[in-house]
Formats: sequence, structure tokens, C-alpha cells
Amino acid sequence: MAGKSGGYQGGLQSLRADFIELLGKAIVSGIAASVVFGLVALGLATSARAQSKPNDARTGTLLFRTGEAGAFAPAPKVETEVTIHVTGIVARTRVSQTFHNPGEDWVEGVYVFPLPENAAVDRLRLRIGERVIEGQVKEKEAARRIYAEAKREGKKAALVEQQRPNLFTNAVANIGPHEYVRVMIEYQQTLAIDNGEYRLRFPLAITPRYEPAGAAIPDEPKAIEAYQATVDSLGAPPATGPDPVLHPDYAPAGAGAVNPVAIGVVIDFGVPLAKVTSSYHDAWIEKDSGSRTVLYLKKEQEEADRDFELVWSPAGGSAPLAAAFLETRNGTDYALLLVMPPQPTAQEKAAIAPLPRETVFVIDTSGSMQGTSIQQAREALLTGLSTLTARDRFNVVEFNSSTRPMWPDALPATAENLQYARAWVSKLQANGGTEMAGALAFALNGRDTAGYLRQVIFMTDGAVGNEDHLFKLIAQRLGSTRLFTVGIGSAPNSHFMTKAALFGRGSFTYIGDLREVEEKMSKLFAKIESPVLKDVSIRWPDGTPVETYPARVPDLYLGEPVVVAAAHASLKGTIVVSGMRGNQPWSVALTPTAAEEPTGVGALWARARIASLMDELRLGADEALIRPAVVKVALEHHLVSRYTSLVAVDVTPTAPGGEKRSALVKTSAPRSMIAGELPQTDTAFTLQILLGLLALAAAGVGALIGRSIPAGGGEHAAQPAEGAR
Amino acid sequence: MSAWHVNGTSSYALRGRAYGTEPSATPGRPVRNSRRAPVVALVLLLVALAGWQLGGAVWIQAKAALAQRLIASSWSGMQEDGAKRPWPWADTHPVARLTVPSRHVELFVLAGTSGRSLAFGPGHVDGTAAPGSEGNSVIVAHRDTHFAFLRDLHENEEILVEDARGRVSRYLVREVAVVDKHDTRPLDPADSPQLTLITCWPFDAVQPGTDQRYVVIADRTRG
Repeated sequence: MAGKSGGYQGGLQSLRADFIELLGKAIVSGIAASVVFGLVALGLATSARAQSKPNDARTGTLLFRTGEAGAFAPAPKVETEVTIHVTGIVARTRVSQTFHNPGEDWVEGVYVFPLPENAAVDRLRLRIGERVIEGQVKEKEAARRIYAEAKREGKKAALVEQQRPNLFTNAVANIGPHEYVRVMIEYQQTLAIDNGEYRLRFPLAITPRYEPAGAAIPDEPKAIEAYQATVDSLGAPPATGPDPVLHPDYAPAGAGAVNPVAIGVVIDFGVPLAKVTSSYHDAWIEKDSGSRTVLYLKKEQEEADRDFELVWSPAGGSAPLAAAFLETRNGTDYALLLVMPPQPTAQEKAAIAPLPRETVFVIDTSGSMQGTSIQQAREALLTGLSTLTARDRFNVVEFNSSTRPMWPDALPATAENLQYARAWVSKLQANGGTEMAGALAFALNGRDTAGYLRQVIFMTDGAVGNEDHLFKLIAQRLGSTRLFTVGIGSAPNSHFMTKAALFGRGSFTYIGDLREVEEKMSKLFAKIESPVLKDVSIRWPDGTPVETYPARVPDLYLGEPVVVAAAHASLKGTIVVSGMRGNQPWSVALTPTAAEEPTGVGALWARARIASLMDELRLGADEALIRPAVVKVALEHHLVSRYTSLVAVDVTPTAPGGEKRSALVKTSAPRSMIAGELPQTDTAFTLQILLGLLALAAAGVGALIGRSIPAGGGEHAAQPAEGAR
Repeated sequence: MSAWHVNGTSSYALRGRAYGTEPSATPGRPVRNSRRAPVVALVLLLVALAGWQLGGAVWIQAKAALAQRLIASSWSGMQEDGAKRPWPWADTHPVARLTVPSRHVELFVLAGTSGRSLAFGPGHVDGTAAPGSEGNSVIVAHRDTHFAFLRDLHENEEILVEDARGRVSRYLVREVAVVDKHDTRPLDPADSPQLTLITCWPFDAVQPGTDQRYVVIADRTRG
């Protein structure tokens, strides 16, 4: 699109630019002699003032927001301890954050931290010495008022707010000098299951989100229209109190483990596990004689700069093919169903002749992808290209500040075209902003190539702040295309990836390491060849429709399970899940049994309902209708949401009243962000003036010598000319 | 690194040339003209060198000033037709207009901070907030061209930023500091709208490639 004249023609352009520069220099050199004398005065003045120090600058004074000039408050530090307990497909996690104030003042610490995008945060406890104060869920504004009041009165208080679906803040007021305050947050989540593997991800790092400035610069009028329509219809972002935190405050590179993390996981699976792997961290793994597995990180304190991922699979064929969990709360039954369709046999596979594909690869080449991320993305794209056959069609689109497709439209995957694409991809560099809308609009062009299965493979770290605009764009333009997101880098925004794939009726694949690229991409492509189970429907015990999330079960690709959360007055009885495998009908019946202890299924259902309501809001529903519905569910199930927060307040004041200093706790920067430098911003201007003048002076001296002493040697003249180049 | 170091290294090349002219001088015959010839050659060489260096210096300034004029015209067209390249082979486009009324400064900020685009105008650092938007927006420029005026900028001076959609934000200088180039804290995101201008320091350093940066931080004000 707009950027299409850049990049591969760069060599030619730079030649032209260099030639013009040379020409300019030649002309300017002529003029230079006449201005030399004018510049002499300037040059002398400049060199006389060299190295002078501006009086208002303080060397090494740093830009820490302290309120008063020159004062430096040491930032509070946070140590995190994570304990995860996995039962079946549900994980309950306790995150303990210990705030430490290394300074001499009473401070407020604000910690920005990520949680999984489907985390149902339902418990907050504030621990002061031996006392534990239980947090209460309140509407966001009410919680803020309670917290602010406690802060003013000198009471210790903690406030947990959701900034984005997967980004939270924890504010702790009145941390005394050298004091430690511990805050415990608990949440519940369902695990991701894919190809018989169970995947648990605990996000630790936050990639700064890019907020697009204005419209992207797509050439295609359609894309502009779509983008503009989206912008217009959404208007200004909804105002909900202070601006959400987009960018955490990173500690400077090389500062060491600023916010160390310790992680322990207990997996109580019911059946023995075949393989347990910690993907990106060294860990000790202990298997118990029974079905219990315990894992903890080898390094007691790990830097929070990359996400933690644990993958396991049940021992040979013992994975349950169907399971149902039930919880009864306040007269309502909540159920969580898991159904794994059987793998197709070779014969069945052959019967389902896959359609030829039209695949559009979209690759994020924005600045945030710099370093290993772009390498991974390029590698993933090349792997993707290698899965194409001559029957398929494909195209590649690159985007950063602007969108640049390889071809205006998809072309057949001939050896020649593939060769061209590989060369094109290898040259991609990461630089610029993340204007995703243009690329999405290009890829999801609403066109349908008859007889082809149209797929968009979107490779990005998702470092965007305008997620909602993008979701709306995807939902509006998807048509029959499927959008598959591939998360790249050490801390991709998995909320964006998961939701984008959901709106795009595809799936999300996370690649956290260069070594995983081939395996994960091959799996993805093997999976998306064709759906295994279509037209899934569920019949509930009394035959009445039941409120479920997701409301409609999507087509299932190879290795994907049906996971449904439901709520109804009574769900005790037989539930039948049915669908079409190829052209054969298939069904399974299951009867949920109520667990003796609370399983947290209710909270999971509530979280899914809130997510679904928030999706409606993204797609244009009225906030005045959505908000009360979300608040109602959140208060009933004690959940943190966009409109509700958890707040805990100590009873007795401990700090002197009055204004307190607030400091944002530094967050570790994601590993893939290269610890950088500030750009170099000087030219050789002063040096050249000086050298020029020196040479001129030397020439003058030489001329004098040449005139007065006829036998003068070159040695004398050369001496003062030192320094010229 | 001192100025001595520069002279030390670059004199090497010149000495080579100076010696190169010598052989014609040493077998010299006692004729005035032929004795003078090497001196004249040397003087001419030095004048050429001076022209080259000064030309380069003037070129830096000329390019900086000329490019801003070209960008100015592409900027005025941009608000109607969207982003435009200021000249056909430009690899960047303007993203904001920065004015400092008290210093009579008007600058067009380009996207990105590659060496090539910095020669033409101040650059907006990728990944930081867009100029005029929430968060910390960082703009860098050369200390000897566009941002030379920063040395005189003091607290509470007004900076205006107009974004691509024509919205103008007003900032007041809050703080001025000097940091090491490895200290990337000035690039850190902020939770309130903030403008950070960075250039090389000291302003008068003779040799390019200094290790320190001059940082001006301004907060957005209402109205």
C-alpha cells in the first residue's frame, strides 16, 4: 500500500540520495569560501564555549516523578510468589505480592501486573503482621473512594483494579519506612487444551502497547473506509475514570531482578501424567506416586521478564474424552463441560478431502518486534510457506506504521512465487509503529475466492492499545475467512490474540522461543487443514435452552475440545453433545456429578459471561445497558471486572495523615526488548567547521611562508594543518 | 574523549599526504618557482580541504533548513489528504508540528529516528506515545541544527504540538536534565500526557558521538 515504494527499492533510492548529496556538497563548497569569514566569528565563539555546563541541568539527575524538584524517592519493590493448583481443567492461582518500601517516607506503591486473559479474580487479602484483612468487591468508583479515604486517614489499604482484561494494578497505601506489606490475590481459570496437551500460562512481563496516532495510510479506499467507519462509530474511547495504564514503568536495563518471582505448581490431575514441561524456565519437577505432580522454579527468584508456561499431557490414552463439573450456588447450577472429539482415523481423514487454501500471512514488523521476535516471526512465516502446495494460493502482508502487501492479491503457490516470497520475507526488518487496522482490513477484504478455504495467519506480539477497535474491525469484515493468531515474543498480549482469534473464528498459537517455531507452526497448519467436528449442539437435561458460554460452539479443528460453561436452575441429569464428523453424525452423553467442595465453576461461568458482555460492548452495544449487567454478575460472584474492584482496608491507622508520595513500581521489561540507548543526535557540524577553519588557517600560514621564505619546506605548513581530514 | 584524540587520529591521514608531496620538494633545484611549487600545492590542498569541511558543515545546515521547508508544504496538504511523503524518495513522513513561540521555533517532526531522517527534522521515537496523546511522547533531534534552541529553553516555557489531525496540545517545560545515553528512563512510558525532547549534550562538544543527552520534559496543560 502506501509503503510499497520503500524497502526493496531502498538501495536505488539511497544511491540517488547520495548522488544528490554529493552534488549539493560540490555546489555548497563553492559558496562556503565566501561565508567562511562570517563563520570564523561563530566558530571561535563556539569553541570557546565548548564543554560549558548549562546552569539548569543537573548531571545524572533523573526523571523520576517526585512532585518536588531534586527529590528522589526510591521506588517500592515488589516480590511475587505464585502458587498454582490445577485440578482437572481448572487452575486456582494465588499471587502474593510483597511490597517493600526501601525509603524513609510513607509511600503508596502502585504495581502494574498481567494475569491470564480469562482469570476470574475473586479474592484479595491484605496481610499486616499477623492480621489478615479480607477484601470486598465494590463498584469501581466506590472502591476508589474507600481506598482514598483509608489512604487519607493513614490506614493501610489495597485496591486491585482491572485496567484491561489481562492487565491489573494493585495499589497499596501507607507503606511505612522499610516496611513490608503483603497482598494476596486469587483467581480461577480454565486451561487451554490442544492436541491432548494441557497448557497453563502465567504472564509475567508486559509489552508496552502501541496506541495508533491517526488513521493508517492504506492506499486501498476500502481499507480507509473500514478504518474510518470503525473510528467514527466508536468515537472517543469510553471515559472510565483515569486513563487505563498502557505502559508500565520499566526499570532501567541492567538493574538486576527488580521484581523477583517464585512459582510453584501442583497438578492434581486424577490420572498419571506422561510429560510435564516448563517451556521457558528451568524447573524442578517431582512426580508423586499417585497422580500428583509438583513443580517449582529452579531459580528461587526469577526475573519477571518472560511468561511462564507449563505443558503436560496425560499418560498414553488416559486422557478423559468427556468430563463435566457441577457446582450449586444460591439455587443455581453451574456446569463446565469438556468434550474431546475422537481423532479421525486415516480412513476418515481421506474421506474429508481438504479444500485448497488461500492463505494470507500477515506479519507485524513494528518496532516492538525488534530482536528475537522478528526472527521468530520470519521463521514462522517461512515454515508456513513450506506447508503450501501447488493447489493453494497465498499472499504476505507486512505492517508497521503502514501496511505493505507483497502482491495486491493472492497468487498460486508455484515454486517461483514461493521463492520470491521467501526472499521477500527474509528481508523484513522491525521498525516503526503498530498500525494494525490497515493490515487487518487488507487481509479481511470480505472477498471470497470460490472453492478455497480462506485463512489469515496473523503473526504479531499484539502490542496495541486499541484492541477494541480492532475486534470490531475483525467481526465486521470476517466473512467466511478464518483468522488464526500467532503470538510472537516473550510477552505477547494474549488477551488481544485470544480475542482476535475468537472474533476471527480461528485459534491462537503462542510461540515463545525460536526453537518452537517449526513444531508449533506445523501443528497449526496440520490442524487447520479441515475442521474435525462441525455443527456442534448440546441438549440439556430438561430440554430447555440454557445460557452457555460460548453461546455457539465453534467448529472444532484437530485436537480441540469443546469447553462450555453453563448456568441454569437445574443441570442435574444427562447432557448430550452432538455434531457432525465429516458426514457422520456423532454424539456423546455425560452426567455431571456435583463435587463435595466448591469447584469454582460458578466463578468461571461468571467470568465467561462478563467477557461475553464486554464483547457486546466492543461490537457497539450501549454501555448503559452492559454496565449494570456486568456489575450485577461481578458483585454476585465477587469478581474484579472493568466496573468492579477489590478493596481491603485496615481498621487502625498506622501512618501520619496528609499528602503521601505515590510511586509506580518498576516493572521488568520483556526480555525481547533490547536494552537500548538514546539515539545519537549530533552531527559533525562543529567538527567540520573547526577542521575547515584549521585547514584554512594552515593554508594562510602556508601562503605567507611561501611568499616570505622562498625556500620554505612543506614540513612547516603541514604542522598546523593536523587535524584536517 | 577530548579534541586531542580526534586530532591524533585524523592527522595520520594528512601526514601521509604531506609526505607524499615531499619527494618532489627534496630533490629540489635552487630555482625559486620550483621551490615554491610544493608550498603552493599544499596551500591549494589545504584550501580544498577547508572547502570540503566547511561545505560539509554548511550542507548539514542547508539540508536541515531546506528539508523543513519541504515538509512544511507536505504538512499543509496532509491534513486534507492524509500522510504524504515530503519528497518522492523520503522514507518517512511528518507526524507533528512543534512550535515554541518564545523562541520563534517551528519544526516538523518526522516518524522514526534513523540517522537519515534526523538530518531532515526532529524524529518521533517509535513505540513512545504519539505526539499530543496520552503518555510520554519522545522527540529527538540534532543538537547543532533543529534542537540547538533547547539549550536556552527554561522551566515553564510553552511548547505547542499539533498532531496530524490538526489538534494542538500545549505543554509547559517542567524539568531539564542531563543523562547518560544508556539511561533510557526518558523513554519510559508516563501515566500522564508528557513531551520529552532529547538532544546530544554538551551542545558545544567538538566531536560528534557524545555519551550524554540533554533532556527537556514538558507536561501537557489544559487550555
